[in-house]
Amino acid sequence: MFCCSYILLSDRWRCTLPFIVSSDIVKMAAAVTSRLTAAVCRQFQRVVTVSSHTQSQYAAQASSKFHSCQRRRMYDSWWFRSALNDRALHTSCVRKGLEDFFDLPENWGEQTVKSGAPWTAKQLRVKSNEDLHKLWYVFLKEKNMLLTLEQEAKRQRLPMPSPERLKKVERSIMRLDTVVKEREDSLRLLQTGQERGRPGEWRRNVFGKTFWYRFREHPIPWYLNSRYKRRRFFEPSHVAPYTRLSLEKYLRSKIRKETRENRNQKRLAAMFPKKTALASDH
Amino acid sequence: MRQISMRLTALLSMAAKAAFPHDYRYGTNRPWTIAAQRLNPPGKKRRKVFVEPIANEDWHVLRGDTVEILSGKDKGKQGKVAQVFRRRSWVILEGLNTHYRYIGRSGDYRGTYIASEAPLMLKDVTLIDPTDRKPTDIEWRYTEEGERVRVSVRTGRIIPKPVYQRRDGIIPQQWKDGPKDTSPEDTLQKTFTPSLKTLEEEVMEKMNIQEDRRPRKSYWY
Repeated sequence: MFCCSYILLSDRWRCTLPFIVSSDIVKMAAAVTSRLTAAVCRQFQRVVTVSSHTQSQYAAQASSKFHSCQRRRMYDSWWFRSALNDRALHTSCVRKGLEDFFDLPENWGEQTVKSGAPWTAKQLRVKSNEDLHKLWYVFLKEKNMLLTLEQEAKRQRLPMPSPERLKKVERSIMRLDTVVKEREDSLRLLQTGQERGRPGEWRRNVFGKTFWYRFREHPIPWYLNSRYKRRRFFEPSHVAPYTRLSLEKYLRSKIRKETRENRNQKRLAAMFPKKTALASDH
Repeated sequence: MRQISMRLTALLSMAAKAAFPHDYRYGTNRPWTIAAQRLNPPGKKRRKVFVEPIANEDWHVLRGDTVEILSGKDKGKQGKVAQVFRRRSWVILEGLNTHYRYIGRSGDYRGTYIASEAPLMLKDVTLIDPTDRKPTDIEWRYTEEGERVRVSVRTGRIIPKPVYQRRDGIIPQQWKDGPKDTSPEDTLQKTFTPSLKTLEEEVMEKMNIQEDRRPRKSYWY
C-alpha cells in the first residue's frame, strides 16, 4: 500500500531560525537576535529544505514557497553581522524540491528496500476524485524517484535496490487511469450516449481497407483545409478488384485456422482419451 | 494528452516483449536466461510435444502440495511440489527425481556438484489423503457454502489448499507498514460519492480554480 509522506521540518531548526520569512515584523525581530543566533548557526551553512504542506492546501503553500525562496540571499561569513547590517540572518538559498527525486535518507546505500503491495483497481474505485487526483501525483513522484535511482545505478554500474518497486508503481498508475477512464465513460454514456470519448468513423483508405478513422481537432473547417482535401478516403477504380481478392484471402485464412484447430483437437482426443470418473490411474 | 502517453507506453512495452516462434519448445529454464538460449537457439526446430489439454479449473495439483510419485526412479516417495508448469503438465518436486550435474565451471575448475530435479508428468503423481497419508484420486466438488474444493474420492475428505511461502519471503500476516505504505484502514476507507461531475470539475471546485475562459470553436474531422 503506497503513500508518500512529505518530509517534515526537522526539529533542530524550529527554535533557531524563522524559516519561511513572510512579514517585515518577523524580519526586524530576527535582526535583533541575529548576532546571537549567528554563533549557534555558524556551523550550519547548508539548510534542509522543507515541504511540510498538508495535502489539502498544496496550492496555497506552493505559492508562498516560491516567494520565500526569492527573498533569500547568500551570506556565508558571520562577521558581516553587525549593528549596521540590520537584516535578518539569511542562509544559503535552499535546494528546494530536488530531494523528492531521492529516496528517504535511511534507505540510501541499502541493497533491498521493503515496499508494500501495489494499489488494486478495487481499492482505487472506492476513493473520491480528489483522492485519486492526489494519489496520481504521489505515484508520479515515486516513479520519478525510482527512475532517477535506476538511472544512477546504471551510471554507477551497480544493481538497483528492489527494482520491483518500479513495476508496482507503474501498475498502480495504470489501474488508477483505468478507474478514472471508467468513471468518465459511465458519465459520458449517461449524459450523451456516446461510447467513445474521441469521435471517429469507419472509412476506406486508398488501398481499399476499411479502418476506424479517429478524428483530429482542427481550427478551420474541412472545406478550407487544403491538406485534408488532398487525403483520399476512397479507393481508385484500379484498386477496386483487389478488395474482393483480399477479402477472399482473409476468409480463407480464417477457415484454415479453424480447420487446423479442429484437426489438432481431434488428434489430441485420439492421443489422450477422456477417462471416466470410475477409472483410476493407479 | 493522457491517451497519447498511454498509447506510447503500450507501444514501447510491445517492442520490449520478446517474441518466440509458435513451435518454441518451452523447458524448465525461463526463456530469457542464457541456459534456455543455449538449448533453443533461434532457428532450431524440435519435434512437437503433445500435452493433454487440461482446463485451468480442472488442474488439481498446486504449488506446496504433498504428492506421491507413481512411476520413475523415486517411485513411492512423497514430496512437496516446488514448481508447476501447466503448459507442459509438469510438476517439479523438492529433492526428488534428481540427477546430478556440475554447475559454474570455468577453465580447469570443474564446478560444484549439485543435485537438480527433473520434472515429472502430471499423470505420474497423485495427491495424498491427509487422513491416512496414502495416494488417492481427486475430484473437484462444491461444499455447502458454494466453495469449490478438492475432495478425495476414496475417503471423501477435503484436501485444503496448500500454504506456500511467497517468493519474496513476505508473510502477509506479519507485515509491518513502512513510511510510504498506506495503512489498511486508510486504503479501504470509502470516500467516493457518485456525482454527475467529471474528475476535472470536482478537482477544480475543491482547489477554487475559476476557469472563465471558454474553448475556441474547433472542428473535428
